[in-house]
Amino acid sequence: MTYGSYIREARERRYGEDRSFSVRKVAQRVGVEPAYLSKIERDLAPPPSEATTRRIAEELSEDADLLLAMSGKVSGDLQRIILSRPLLFAELIRQLRDAPDQAILRIVREVRDGAW
Amino acid sequence: MIELRDNELVFRFPEVHRDAVLSVNFQRTLRIPDDGTAHFLPPGLGSFPLHHVDDYRETTPSKWAVHGGVFFPMHQSEATWLDFEGDYPMAVKVGAGKINAVTGRQWRNRLAKLQDYLVTPDQPWLDGFNVRKGMIRQFVAMPLGEGYTAEEQLTGKAEHGGIQLAVYPMKASLYEEMINRRGSICEEAGYPIMASYSQATQEMGLAPGGLMRQEIYEDHYGIDTWETEAFSRCFVHILNSVAFFNVTGQSPPLRPPTAWEYTKAGLPWFDYFDAELTALEGAKELARLESVEVMEGRRGGLPMPTIREALVRRIGRDRVREGAF
Repeated sequence: MTYGSYIREARERRYGEDRSFSVRKVAQRVGVEPAYLSKIERDLAPPPSEATTRRIAEELSEDADLLLAMSGKVSGDLQRIILSRPLLFAELIRQLRDAPDQAILRIVREVRDGAW
Repeated sequence: MIELRDNELVFRFPEVHRDAVLSVNFQRTLRIPDDGTAHFLPPGLGSFPLHHVDDYRETTPSKWAVHGGVFFPMHQSEATWLDFEGDYPMAVKVGAGKINAVTGRQWRNRLAKLQDYLVTPDQPWLDGFNVRKGMIRQFVAMPLGEGYTAEEQLTGKAEHGGIQLAVYPMKASLYEEMINRRGSICEEAGYPIMASYSQATQEMGLAPGGLMRQEIYEDHYGIDTWETEAFSRCFVHILNSVAFFNVTGQSPPLRPPTAWEYTKAGLPWFDYFDAELTALEGAKELARLESVEVMEGRRGGLPMPTIREALVRRIGRDRVREGAF
């Protein structure tokens, strides 16, 4: 699925329940021209900037990281994390490429439970 | 496993089911007066900042390292409510100073047959101690050691403080059955900051505040629904706001407005009602507790101004309870 078709589907799903999710109204709230949003949805324009994608994600209650990935971008905060230790993170990501979700979740920092 | 993400505790049980996720955050809110009236639900004014205890071992009380968990700052007499988010049904035990907030009994890790837990997502929020059917007394932060907290009133000791959570997911087989039946559930103040502090008063506990209308709902699934072998628990410490700056170097959130200021500004209060669910009876032990305001009154404190909520929004599931002050 492309970036455009994904956001069109998400918007139309919400439009089915709430008429304020028309192209025009969503574009207004996101701060772009309705014609531009319409072109993005039909894949006639490339995905917008990170900031606009974040606003679209918020408006449609979608995950911004997922939309950024679909647009071929890596969010600015992730870039900064990787650039702070590029070799280490490049190696880590390659190592985890084929790991199952559950294994990846195991390396997330957990809140430690002690004795109480 | 529990992850700290954007000031939320995210409880995940991937070994039970991939959908078994519950987020819990601690909302800043107004403190309501104990003026003999049952008040409506106050707004959420944003979540308190949460930190790993392990990141501040040098500057937090040594026993916190033993407890593990997280901490957040509260001003003295500030109130909080717990916000639960997640569609996967969970049984959630909540303790304050290791006193069960539903039953008033001492903390136990296991679920009791006489319901001592909440069920989410039926129960979207918890604002206080379950004192009567349909009524709670608001969670208000007070220094541990001064006799106000529920823990001290019930046990005579100022030992634990903070908030304790234990979360039990629904058994995966029952969840799958439920999804198949439904299609997919997924589709469907101005109080003074302490001028000085000591080691003893850095730690805060929760004391009972004013009366509020909130139902704690009965578990309509039954106790055998819950995966009791796969529970997660977390000790959430509360640090006095002044001490928080000294411990972390970060400023705590600003003091919230008073309930009187908020109401005078014409901002909304909230009322949550779910006709399909039955409310639990209140806990006798908790009904006996004295509120902070009554105790302060005996110590020469002035009563809070009485309020009358003019604007009340009646809300149901999926509605946001947010203030705009």
